[in-house]
Amino acid sequence: MSKPEALLRSHAKIKGNIQSWLIMLPGLLLMTSFVWEPLFESIRMSLYKTRNVELVKFIGFSNFISVTGKDDFLQALANTFSYTFWSLLIGFALPVILAMLIGETTRGKSLFRTAVYLPNMLPGLAVIILWSAFFSGEKSGVLNILLSRLGVSAQSYLTRADWVIPIIILIATWKGAGATALIYMAGMASISPELYEAAAIDGATVWHRIIHILLPAIRKLAGTLLILQIISVFQIMYEPMVLTKGGPDNASLSLMQLMWQYAFGGSMNYGKASAVAVIVTLILLVMTAIYSYFNRKESDWD
Amino acid sequence: MSKLFKLVSLLLALCMLSGIPVCFAESDEVIDANLTCTITLGNWPADTAPDAEKALFEGYKATMAKQYPNVTLVPDYYSYTLSNYVPMAKGGTAPSIFQPPFTDPQLLISQHLVGDVTDALEQFGVLDQFSPSYVEMLADENGRIFGLPRDGYVLGMHINLALFREAGLMTEDGLPKYPKTLQELAEYGQIIREKTGKAGLVFPASETYGGWLFTNIAWNFGCVGESALEYQDEDGRWVCNFTSPECIAAMEYMRDLRWKYDILNADATTTDWAGAHSLLGTGEAAMNFAADDSVDQPTANKGLPVEDFALIPFPAGPAGRYALAGGTCYMFAPDISKDQAVALMAYLKIIGKLPFLDDAIVAGMRADYAAKRDRGAPVIPAISAWNDEAYNAAKQAIVDEFCNVDMRLYADFFDSISEGTITLKSEEPVFAQQLYRELTAAVQRMITREGADVVKALKKAEESFQEYLDDEINDI
Repeated sequence: MSKPEALLRSHAKIKGNIQSWLIMLPGLLLMTSFVWEPLFESIRMSLYKTRNVELVKFIGFSNFISVTGKDDFLQALANTFSYTFWSLLIGFALPVILAMLIGETTRGKSLFRTAVYLPNMLPGLAVIILWSAFFSGEKSGVLNILLSRLGVSAQSYLTRADWVIPIIILIATWKGAGATALIYMAGMASISPELYEAAAIDGATVWHRIIHILLPAIRKLAGTLLILQIISVFQIMYEPMVLTKGGPDNASLSLMQLMWQYAFGGSMNYGKASAVAVIVTLILLVMTAIYSYFNRKESDWD
Repeated sequence: MSKLFKLVSLLLALCMLSGIPVCFAESDEVIDANLTCTITLGNWPADTAPDAEKALFEGYKATMAKQYPNVTLVPDYYSYTLSNYVPMAKGGTAPSIFQPPFTDPQLLISQHLVGDVTDALEQFGVLDQFSPSYVEMLADENGRIFGLPRDGYVLGMHINLALFREAGLMTEDGLPKYPKTLQELAEYGQIIREKTGKAGLVFPASETYGGWLFTNIAWNFGCVGESALEYQDEDGRWVCNFTSPECIAAMEYMRDLRWKYDILNADATTTDWAGAHSLLGTGEAAMNFAADDSVDQPTANKGLPVEDFALIPFPAGPAGRYALAGGTCYMFAPDISKDQAVALMAYLKIIGKLPFLDDAIVAGMRADYAAKRDRGAPVIPAISAWNDEAYNAAKQAIVDEFCNVDMRLYADFFDSISEGTITLKSEEPVFAQQLYRELTAAVQRMITREGADVVKALKKAEESFQEYLDDEINDI
């Protein structure tokens, strides 16, 4: 193909695609302004000594070294993994179970679907305040009132370092499990009824149907939701911030909360705050890459 | 009551008096028709605020329109926090005037996030009227002024008299037998816990509050002078000193309040300032470390009748009797013009925050106190940040007119200040909020782990704060 001909073709191609580009333009502009630019700015800021949001001096990785060398960072990192662990333990299987139970329900399915989704419609802060009254360590705390009927003395739940993270995850699961269950229900609805009919003819029990039909069918969906859950829990912030303020003694401090403290907690050190943000992003990128690798490998086997 | 008059002149033991005329001017006179600008006013009462308060501010606006017809006032509901202010200041959307606490001005000044009003103050003739201590908090190293004191406070204790009565801690005269020392605080708290089942002391130990209150306790254990929590050494380097014997003793006291005397509220580590007032106001706790400027919190806001409320001095420790003196100030957007600065001073004059009195200002003060009384808040003398005797006396006369409490329940608090039996002390000099954050973590450890190692916790906090000081101010 001669050069002018190639140019003409490429010009025609661009012209042909101009409508597509125009459609994408608002999205691209929004992404550039509100996602990519802040992301790159944050990375740049993490390499500078800052005075509020102004960059004062390039200091290389000093912010990263300073941040990671502190006890509160290590504790926040450990806490964040602990949040993730408890979230998987408490919150990963529950939506699947809810979806299966509702799927097996023959009457009032819509009612149950609405009921499990309802907590998700409540504002996050309202949920935290609601549960803080439930777990209040005063005698007027709801849980303490209930336990007092059983003769159990009042306990202080939110001041115990070993209880706070499971409690926060319990609350987050209460709020979010319904929404995830709906996604699983949608996934389960796509399973061909013929499979169930065939299984029934073969005399399969409910348990066999779950193991051999349902779970394999939702495995990929569960994998995607798993990584989304990890990413989401890794960025947990407002729940501990409102419920425990990161305490007691930093026992519920998350990485994102630590980032907030650097930026807005009195020191206005945006450089270090950005360093923490970049570290969180890197950890999540690694986790996503690992997931993608195994997912691709699994697809290859399929 | 005469002691109260003494109080305002001796207040904060900071004042250098110099004369200022108390002028009575006609409020409707046009003062400057040539001043032309627009100012946005933070902390304007929200639509949900009581009608009396809204009417009061509308009145200020009307007076401003008469005196400065070409100045446009734009009400703004903005309420300051450090986190919301910085982006607004950098983005040019901060209100012309806002109200930060006294912990923040130096940080805001050093970061060039506030506007200079020195020349405007000079124009109004009040530059020398507020106490040197306040000037120190609100000026930069060149003596340029970036803020004005709104009001001052002194930390003491709020007490719930209903619980004191139930615990039998009242005299025949109907006055509380209140703790004069920190040791008595622990013992009285124990009696209250035993007799009423309620917390003797609510201690807000979340975020930075725990460290904030702990510093006052530490001062009373001797963490001042050479044993101060932070000090500057001979080379000018700021040094953190949390592991002095005095600080260790103070932290051991905190641990004892929880594990030996068991007088603290159950969820101390999640309780904040508002939560502490709520617990006292609703009868869940008998005592709360709090100041004279927040007496409306447990009463008007949480329903505690004013006759069940008293304000007492901060208890003495084994090494002294100090009380934190602080307050709230007015500061200004970084980009205000010269005309805006003058207009803002004019507005502050109209709302009675500069040491001038005229009919409109007096009417405003009366309306303010009447509104407080109507909503069930104690009307007590405010601690003035200005040095003018005549101005302060005139204000006191208005307070007396609207006073709705038995002043015997407040007398010891105010007398301790006016008679100098308590030493007033401002917050730790550098990076106070970060210092509080580090100490809060140590306090939390003490009150949540029975066998917590005091020295280890303080050492950890000390290392962390020292690193912070080295990064931020020592330039190491």
